[in-house]
Amino acid sequence: MTVQLQHPMAAQATPGEIARGRFVSGIRSLILNDLAGDLRNAYDRRAEPKWRREHGRAPDTSREAHEALRGDPAFNVYSAMRVQAQKMVWAAVADGVSRESDRLAAEAARVADAPGTLALDPALEVPRNVSAIDVHLMPGSYTRGADSLEAGAVYDRGLAVFSMGLMGANLDDIGLSMAKYIALRYPDFAPQRILDTGCTIGHNTLPWKQAYPEAGVVAIDAAPGPLAYGSARAKMQGQAVEFRQMCADSLAYPNASFDMVWSSMFLHELSKKTRAAAFAEAFRVLRPGGLMLHMELPPNGAMDAYDGFYLDWDSYYNSEPFYKGYRDENPLELCLRAGFAADDFFQFVVPSIGIYGEQAIRDMVAADAVEAVGQATTGRLADGVMWFGFGAWKR
Amino acid sequence: MDEALLRPEDAPPEIYDDTGRARFFADPGMELFIAVVMNLAQEVWVQEERLFTLEEAKGNPATDRDALAKAFINRVFEPLRGA
Repeated sequence: MTVQLQHPMAAQATPGEIARGRFVSGIRSLILNDLAGDLRNAYDRRAEPKWRREHGRAPDTSREAHEALRGDPAFNVYSAMRVQAQKMVWAAVADGVSRESDRLAAEAARVADAPGTLALDPALEVPRNVSAIDVHLMPGSYTRGADSLEAGAVYDRGLAVFSMGLMGANLDDIGLSMAKYIALRYPDFAPQRILDTGCTIGHNTLPWKQAYPEAGVVAIDAAPGPLAYGSARAKMQGQAVEFRQMCADSLAYPNASFDMVWSSMFLHELSKKTRAAAFAEAFRVLRPGGLMLHMELPPNGAMDAYDGFYLDWDSYYNSEPFYKGYRDENPLELCLRAGFAADDFFQFVVPSIGIYGEQAIRDMVAADAVEAVGQATTGRLADGVMWFGFGAWKR
Repeated sequence: MDEALLRPEDAPPEIYDDTGRARFFADPGMELFIAVVMNLAQEVWVQEERLFTLEEAKGNPATDRDALAKAFINRVFEPLRGA
């Protein structure tokens, strides 16, 4: 199913556009659930035994599982259809965004004076990982339409189609699930200043403002258009957030100025060098007692070869060049290199609050247990998805 | 966009064609064929929804279009299952 966004910039789509979006959500569900199951069967039935015969052992890494599957009919069908479905996601919403550009601008203008701020930096050179490729095959990437609302609207509406309802009505399930987990697991933690790095349109920023309404929440991103859209989107939902154009690896904030630094699905879009710099910056701007928390894909080190390959697919075929490099890194080591202590590191898998309900998170916290990384639902946008997170406290 | 310049470090070069697009089948026409079939199925579904709208306007009960879309997709792409 395609969700209907719950804010005034949601599409006023034509019946044809609604039908196209519904079809794309449906075909993605077929691919990511049914054909994904067929792919796993093909691996077990053909690819893995063939590899074993040729090498005298099973594939040991994501790369080897990928190599084993290349050329298999199930891999070819799954992959070709998934690439096309991804292109259809953005195509399904592009006409509507173009047609409604004046209305979007009018809606944004209507809330311009609502609490919350937007500060763009025309002097900031948008990094190539954002501007030089069509990230996840989104034409024009995050810089489409420069600082207009276009990129944000395409992303917001496209994600509504892409997510098949698994990211919630306002695409905030990740933030809601993570914020609920942190609030329950660490009830004494009361951040006064929260920084969201790589926020895009702020869809997973707002849950932190909802969880900690007294906190000042700052959301940064390198791309100006999604920030402009995200600022208006936040105001429409009554959330006062400070949106600023800024790169996570070069924060214009003094030392010890935040109680929490957060990101969601962001680290895998950075090069290794930039990612390390972003971690160092997060450590620098955190106050003692502060928390760095990232929602991301689970690392390859915590998964078997096939499950690792399944997530790494995006790196090769969905224009996510840093995805596998990120997943090959160890979250603990990333934190240690930034200055955090090993004893202050933690990782967890939290059930999607939209799918499993708040009680599932409460039960998990009450049992002082976390779901194991590596199960087929962790990080996969398919039925039963769960979210992987990790973080560290600064002492 | 300059896609060819940013690829995973360990990406085997043969998985992309000379324009930088991912290649899965030995015959590159197959990728195009699959894309056309998916686009065509989408257009058929759009017509299906228009028919539902007309039928509902004539007094037929409203339909669960998400469920119908799922059934439609399952029927059309059934031959691919278990590939």
